[in-house]
Amino acid sequence: MAEIQALDVDVAAVVQADAAAPTRSLWRRIEPTALGTASIVLLLLLWQFLPYFVPMQEGTKLFFTVPSQIVGTLWQLFASGAIWAPLGVSATAFAIGLAFAIAAGLPLGILLGRSATLAAMFDPFITAFNATPRLVFLPLLMLWFGIGLWSKVAIVFLGALFPLLINTYEGVRNADKLLINVVRAFGAGELDIARLVVVPNALPFIVVGLRLAIGRAVLGVVVAEFFGAQDGLGVVMVRAASSFKVDVVFAGLIVFAALSLAMTGLVKLLEERMSRWRPQHVNAN
Amino acid sequence: MAAETSPQRSFALRHRNFLLGAVAVVLFFAAWQAIFLIVPFDPLFISKPSLIAAGFVDLIESGDLIHDLAVSAVPFFVGLIAAVIIGVPLGIVMGWRVRVGYALDPLMTVFYASPLVALAPLLVIFFGVGVTGKAIIVFSLAVFPFIFNVCAGVRTTDRLLINVVRSLGGGERDLYLKVLFPSVLPYIVAGARIAVGRALIGVLVGEFFAASEGIGYAISRFGDIFAIDRMFGCILTVMAIAVVLTEGIRWAERAAFPWRTGQ
Repeated sequence: MAEIQALDVDVAAVVQADAAAPTRSLWRRIEPTALGTASIVLLLLLWQFLPYFVPMQEGTKLFFTVPSQIVGTLWQLFASGAIWAPLGVSATAFAIGLAFAIAAGLPLGILLGRSATLAAMFDPFITAFNATPRLVFLPLLMLWFGIGLWSKVAIVFLGALFPLLINTYEGVRNADKLLINVVRAFGAGELDIARLVVVPNALPFIVVGLRLAIGRAVLGVVVAEFFGAQDGLGVVMVRAASSFKVDVVFAGLIVFAALSLAMTGLVKLLEERMSRWRPQHVNAN
Repeated sequence: MAAETSPQRSFALRHRNFLLGAVAVVLFFAAWQAIFLIVPFDPLFISKPSLIAAGFVDLIESGDLIHDLAVSAVPFFVGLIAAVIIGVPLGIVMGWRVRVGYALDPLMTVFYASPLVALAPLLVIFFGVGVTGKAIIVFSLAVFPFIFNVCAGVRTTDRLLINVVRSLGGGERDLYLKVLFPSVLPYIVAGARIAVGRALIGVLVGEFFAASEGIGYAISRFGDIFAIDRMFGCILTVMAIAVVLTEGIRWAERAAFPWRTGQ
């Protein structure tokens, strides 16, 4: 009896853990993680010990660095505090640009989603700007806003605006017409419709847009600082590259990548929360 | 942002949307031209459509624009073709061999998430201002959409097809050639749509950094000498090319794989 009970519990636990394959062994469960980690570790080791296997010329050595050196540099950058000032400059441009993009993208997306005529009129511009790499405007923006914070903000804004705008638009278009009609029948105006139906419904779409926008915004900061800036983490990287401090370039890359991954990860968590409370019965009917 | 077209209201509505869009574009350029009747015009700061058009004609007649575009096209296509050649097989193998997928998925995600553009200064310094450095930047940006799209395509391949080939005695090679590759074709095209945008970024980054010719170089040089009208001409050309490429691929997707519309 006890044995059967134990078995029951076990099966239930496994089923809960993975409904698709109830008879998975331990190795099978950890295999994806193990293999994924192993390949990354293997690559890092290979990189670390490459200089011992492959003879390199002096000139090539200038451009070469190993992971241990990069980690050392990274540690030093943080320990000495040298990274905070440029990182702060980059983060400011990122935050202001993203805030502007949200402030402009959400209302515009809602407006276009509610008006088919406006959407049709804006469509060519949105298609054109979305297809074009925003980088192409950088020289122009540098002329307009000068070398410094605001040209960076502008490029971040342009990069982040369209994912937010397009996703908000799609989310608004996706809103349940029945709900809108109900609210309208009770005498709600456009503003009430937006507040009560459209925006809550579009939120998951907006969050997806935000995730895309963050990626684009980080890219925007990096690129803008490469070409038109006096300080910032991107500037540190370009200067390091031209003085052959390859480890600093990689350290900067890692910082940018880590921040980008962390922020998109946070937004992904938010996304999962949102899809959890999303009422499923509306679609089921 | 294509408008939904249901069968009842398809033709007229599509027509209406197109007209509205065209009117908006015309209005935009007209307003741009007209606003300088009220606002003072500063040619060092902004240009207007009539001047841009004149500058554009100039650029075409002198052959500069065509030359710069031709120069930029080389690393663009070399990098993009290399991305297809490496990315598609890698994606197929990652999608088909489960363990290869486990091993490479996290690695590729890390590469994809990190702003690889950041390595552009190194690549440009290492490889010089020629085609190689730019082509490598283009490749490293454009390869990931192919890998991830193809990988996703393989995972949605019809199991029935695989089983049929197997029961008729087909080996692993037959599976790759007769089932997997054909069934990921739409995914390759979808990947290409994303990849061309990233490839354009790669070319521009490479050319902004260090180049003596090419469309990116032209844009930054015209900016440096305050030839705003020509700069706008080049920017609008890049925009037009980007739209033609992405919308062209979208159109090709719909035409070649009509069962996949809505993707």
